[in-house]
Amino acid sequence: MSVSPTGAHPAPMIAARSLGKRYGSVPVFEDATFAIAPGARIALTGANGAGKSTLLAVLTTLAAPSAGEAWIGAHAVSRASSALRRTIGVLAHRPMLYEELSPGENLRFFARLYDVPAADERCEELLRALGLWRRRDEPTAVLSRGLHQRLAIARALVHRPAVLLLDEPETGLDADGLALLDELMLCAPGVTVLAATHRLERVARWADGTLHCARGRIAASGAAAATPVEACAPLVAVRT
Amino acid sequence: MSAHDVLRAATPHAEPRAGATLGATCAVLAKDLRLLWRRRASWLAAATFATLSVLTYAFAFDLVTDDVRPLLPGVLWVTFLFAGVVALGRAFADETEQGTLDALLVAPVPRTTLYAGKLVAYFCALLAIDVAMLALATVLFNVGLLTPQLLLLTALGAAGYVSLTLLLGTLGSRVHAREVLLPVLALPLLMPLLIGGVRATGAALDLPHGDAPWLWLLVVFTFWSAAASALLFPLAVER
Repeated sequence: MSVSPTGAHPAPMIAARSLGKRYGSVPVFEDATFAIAPGARIALTGANGAGKSTLLAVLTTLAAPSAGEAWIGAHAVSRASSALRRTIGVLAHRPMLYEELSPGENLRFFARLYDVPAADERCEELLRALGLWRRRDEPTAVLSRGLHQRLAIARALVHRPAVLLLDEPETGLDADGLALLDELMLCAPGVTVLAATHRLERVARWADGTLHCARGRIAASGAAAATPVEACAPLVAVRT
Repeated sequence: MSAHDVLRAATPHAEPRAGATLGATCAVLAKDLRLLWRRRASWLAAATFATLSVLTYAFAFDLVTDDVRPLLPGVLWVTFLFAGVVALGRAFADETEQGTLDALLVAPVPRTTLYAGKLVAYFCALLAIDVAMLALATVLFNVGLLTPQLLLLTALGAAGYVSLTLLLGTLGSRVHAREVLLPVLALPLLMPLLIGGVRATGAALDLPHGDAPWLWLLVVFTFWSAAASALLFPLAVER
């Protein structure tokens, strides 16, 4: 079931039905069923090892589900289609950047890979927005962890994805970086966000609801303490 | 331009444009050639290893025989194979360690496209080393080796070698002992290439080589390894 904030029932942008993932005989999570409405911003919470990154790996098509199915828009995750991958922007817990290339070279490469129109202009736009323009020609290896993360944000946004799947996006960011993260990703209008995070004190700033991973189950939960559960619940319907 | 404009400045095109796959292949190729140049330490190590091998063979054979021509095919192909192991050992290991393999895999391009771009880049680099070895061996052994026929054989061998070892390198990229694993897996599978290459090189040098179509063995091996590796690569990167 997918429920919008207004009570209408649009097709979900992210959905899972009886989704499970196991490595060998070890289950990471089982029987996860949820739906996230278009434009919703959902925090994925849980302790270390609870399965947050694995759920994101399944949704990003990096890991095949062991059971059930998930969808991004109308695209089944198990089919791992190019159309699905064009829809998502991925920010993993590692920046996923070529250290020997400059920020400009990294971004232009991914823009070409995603067949972004007017790629040079798009890359300049992102590098300026994320405060990397002056350092665009330096090797990425010499950048700080926070600047790595900013560049990773630019990489995830380069093709203007409709869905953002983020794994601990706050990693390494200073106050300015966090503000950019909020503005460009977590609070971006019209973009559906599912972000794994341990920064529960920040969840109230951006999240409409939460999915909570614990003991191999994925369940709806109140967002952070500052976010009323009733504000979260309509956006995420979960059966465990 | 405000930050929100970064997200809203243009509408993404939902469907890939004609030629997008070729464009992605070229992007991977250009990126890998650039990275090969900037990570040239491993390639310089391979070239140094190959140079030392040829030099050592030249001095050693000079002590026992005046006619090294019958030994040359074996010397060249064994050097090619081991230099390739050094050069290609980290082809996918760097991608795995930096997490960029995942960034490639979530891109909306066929995974075979990623393989093809990397294949061409590494082929160019290995061929450059192999041709340099031919030039060095020409000087050291005083035998004309930079002939069109031998260059063709070398190119075929490099293509077959890179296509197979890239796939095996992908399989082993998440394994700690990959430096040992790659030659252990690759060298037995490369025996047809070694046999065909040595025999065809012998034929090109007017040495006794039997009646078998050695050049065709090399062609078939290269085609088989390229086609099979391209088909298996998407499975090899699956978690």
